[in-house]
Amino acid sequence: MTGAAVPREQGSPDAAPLVRLTDVGKSYGSVIALRGVSLEADAGEVTCVLGDNGAGKSTLIKIIAGLHRHDSGTYEVQGEEVAFASPRDALTRGIATVYQDLAVVPLMPVWRNFFLGSEKRKSFGRMDIDFMRRTTHSELAEMGIDLRDVDQPIGTLSGGERQCVAIARAVHFGARALILDEPTAALGVKQAGVVLRYIVQARERGLAVVFITHNPHHAYPVGDRFLILNRGRSLGYHTKEEITREELTALMAGGAELEQLAHELDAAASGGAVAKELAREAKDLGVADS
Amino acid sequence: MRGAVLRRPSTSLAVLAAAGVLALGACSSSGGKKAEESANPAPGAGPRLKIAMVTHSGPGDTFWDIVQKGAKAAAAKDNVQFLYSADPDGGKQAQLVQAAIDQKVDGIIVTLAKPDAMKDVLARATAAKIPVVSINSGANDSAKLGAVAHFGQDESIAGEAAGTELAKIGAKKALCVIHEQGNVGLEDRCAGAKKTFGGDLQNLFVQGTNMPQVKSSITAKLQADKGIDGILTLGAPFAATAVDSAKEVGSKAKVGTFDMNKDLIASIKAGDIWFAVDQQPYLQGYGAVDELWLLKNNGNVIGGGRPVLTGPAIVTKDNAGALEAFANRGTR
Amino acid sequence: MTQAVAEPPLKGPGADERLERQSALRRLLGRPELGALLGAVALFVFFSVVADAFLETSSFSTVLYASSTFGIMAVGVSLLMIGGEFDLSAGVMVTSSALVAALVSYQLTLNVWAGVVISLAVTLALGMLNGILYTRTGLPSFIITLATFFMLAGLNLGVTKAITGNVASDSVRDMDGFDSARAVFARDVDVAGVNVNVTVFWWLLFVAVATWILLRTRVGNWIFAVGGAAASARAVGVPVARTKIGLFMGVAFCAWFSGMHLVFAFATVQSGEGVGNEFSYIICAVIGGCLLTGGYGSAIGAAIGAFIFGMTNKGIVYAEWNPDWFRFFLGAMLLVATVVNLVVRRRVERSP
Repeated sequence: MTGAAVPREQGSPDAAPLVRLTDVGKSYGSVIALRGVSLEADAGEVTCVLGDNGAGKSTLIKIIAGLHRHDSGTYEVQGEEVAFASPRDALTRGIATVYQDLAVVPLMPVWRNFFLGSEKRKSFGRMDIDFMRRTTHSELAEMGIDLRDVDQPIGTLSGGERQCVAIARAVHFGARALILDEPTAALGVKQAGVVLRYIVQARERGLAVVFITHNPHHAYPVGDRFLILNRGRSLGYHTKEEITREELTALMAGGAELEQLAHELDAAASGGAVAKELAREAKDLGVADS
Repeated sequence: MRGAVLRRPSTSLAVLAAAGVLALGACSSSGGKKAEESANPAPGAGPRLKIAMVTHSGPGDTFWDIVQKGAKAAAAKDNVQFLYSADPDGGKQAQLVQAAIDQKVDGIIVTLAKPDAMKDVLARATAAKIPVVSINSGANDSAKLGAVAHFGQDESIAGEAAGTELAKIGAKKALCVIHEQGNVGLEDRCAGAKKTFGGDLQNLFVQGTNMPQVKSSITAKLQADKGIDGILTLGAPFAATAVDSAKEVGSKAKVGTFDMNKDLIASIKAGDIWFAVDQQPYLQGYGAVDELWLLKNNGNVIGGGRPVLTGPAIVTKDNAGALEAFANRGTR
Repeated sequence: MTQAVAEPPLKGPGADERLERQSALRRLLGRPELGALLGAVALFVFFSVVADAFLETSSFSTVLYASSTFGIMAVGVSLLMIGGEFDLSAGVMVTSSALVAALVSYQLTLNVWAGVVISLAVTLALGMLNGILYTRTGLPSFIITLATFFMLAGLNLGVTKAITGNVASDSVRDMDGFDSARAVFARDVDVAGVNVNVTVFWWLLFVAVATWILLRTRVGNWIFAVGGAAASARAVGVPVARTKIGLFMGVAFCAWFSGMHLVFAFATVQSGEGVGNEFSYIICAVIGGCLLTGGYGSAIGAAIGAFIFGMTNKGIVYAEWNPDWFRFFLGAMLLVATVVNLVVRRRVERSP
């Protein structure tokens, strides 16, 4: 991995990264949501996109997922320039997106969720339920989730496991690039760990993963490259060798704010103990991961 | 000409499905207006009056349809512009009366199903010097609320007539089928019938807006009590259903009913239904418009301050034939 | 409970065993229709005790008939509710459908079967209109179908009166095809000496088909999904709009069938009928375990709900209670049935 901000030579499709955005910009009317952002994600790599709320993360993800079209710059898939008209188009090119809050239908059994929208059918429009149950079970087992009962409503699974089912589903249906929209945002420390583990697994299975998060402590352990966004611009694009966890945290507004909060609390005499705790936490929040 | 009109329902419903109702609404109302205008040749008897009728009818009730036909016939004869509006809710009916007052009509015809709700607005009508005639229900409150005359049927008296008829056809244990729970008029009919019937008369409540439920409830009652030999329904459509139920259960119960329409006449002629107690709704509409016209043009008051009874008129096999033509045209 | 399942990967044998122990019981008790079934059994026993005539087979047939007239509509309505929507126009749509068939065949002097077919087309179009209005505007289906409810109620009366001059359709009893149509939609079938209305069998068939669609087909999967989480379903490629439109048309189909029963059982159709029945259908679906918020329920549950509704409705008559109290008893019975349903479901959710 070399400094990836510089686009590589246009080579054969094999040499080109799976997903590459170069100087991509997007504006909604007079509001510039994204400007001059470059990113690439190759098979077997995790590219993390970090940024606070409003940094342009969701605009970026919508462009990659095919929900919106970029206004400037280029979007290439395996070296070929594309402009997707719908998420369906992106999906057929192997780019699957798992949204934070749109991952699953909670009241439906796990296997129905797994095959939702891509049901396996037999004659007369009947679904091949046995096949779907078996496949769900084995696919999830492969991801390390061992469910005895794939008939339980997916809502009874933990938030982390739900994200994992959604990821496993995308992998099963042929995704080669996985776009994960804040998969750990609503989760507790333990559950976030579960999801991070599956992100690593997806990488090891040879997928390109774009992992969007606002938490550097989640991003750092699993990421190979880090794109930091702020107010629609790139604040930096680094490989793991180039940046430490502390630097990454410092670049992120979230970490800075945590420190500032610690200072404020420190000033108030009664808040001393809490402030210390916060300050320490701001430093090594990432330990719980992996 | 009929063919052209006939084609309309299917196509227009389909048009609705595709586009919208506005076109249809405009279309049918223009047809109605045309018909109304051609039926109003203005006989030139006195100045043209504007009379509003405000009833407590729900939409799609045969009975009120006939009342309107009577009123329209009188209006055409008397050179009266006739306006009709209705709402089953007492408060809303009062608002409609107020609207008529605001329109400065020459006379108002109201039903007094909920006299208390109408009290204030009728006082305003009197204050505005608009004469009021009440029809149908509310005979006891009519004069108190300032109405000059009342045209209606006394439900108790009509019920008594029905009870007499029921006894006449030999029933000993009968049902009184109430299709709208909490309607005082319907309860009065059953109570009146009970008075003169002599035998055992039980009330049965059914949901009038759901015909299969009406049928299964009557069937259930006949199954539960095999001794029932007479059924009195309080509306024409329910009579036909009661006949079906009795047939289904194999019950020998004889059916009599209130109300009147052309299918009922046919059933009476065929012997399926034994009698009908008609309160002559046509007369209520016709009489009320005529009374207002007479009051305006000649100062007459019909009934001398007492309610004018428009019923009961009993229809049996004997006189059904004579009334058939009138029922077929929807005025009886 | 969530905490227990939320333990990351379930590797320990302890976790698996616990899950296994739940699932057999849970799968039975977790069925949406179980509570309703218990409620139905309780009511049946109750009425058997208090009403002598209730247990006779002919009485049972009457109860089934009453249930079927609610139940046929409840099939479509419950699927729609599982799909997350309401249809307040369902009650008057039955009347519209019946009026179209009766008016078309009478006025054009056609074989009544022509009216039946035209009515099917018109009614399905009405359902599609509901669906398209809903998917295009994105307004709550409650509002959309409330609007169509009023429009249809007005059309029923307006068109009928404009055409016949009366507020009811003319009798089609003596027209060509009436007898064969009656045989399909409203005949009494002799079952071991008891007359059972054919609607009962249609009802059972519709329930079976709906259940098959829900549980065994892709469309069924989509119905659960659009009701449970429409946005998630859309994100994985489920045609949400088409599914919802289809569900509205399913209600329309049931309305058509019920309408045909009206026409051929009673020959004339009162244009003011049907108002208020939409709530009965929704009540059947809810008693049967359909969630008001969508995504959960079953057609069988709705059928049991309709049975409870029919049983209560007629049981009160068989018991010969004072009719002044009829609606009170009706309400109380429904409350009991739904509470039993609720208690059972809560138990299931709480039980380990």
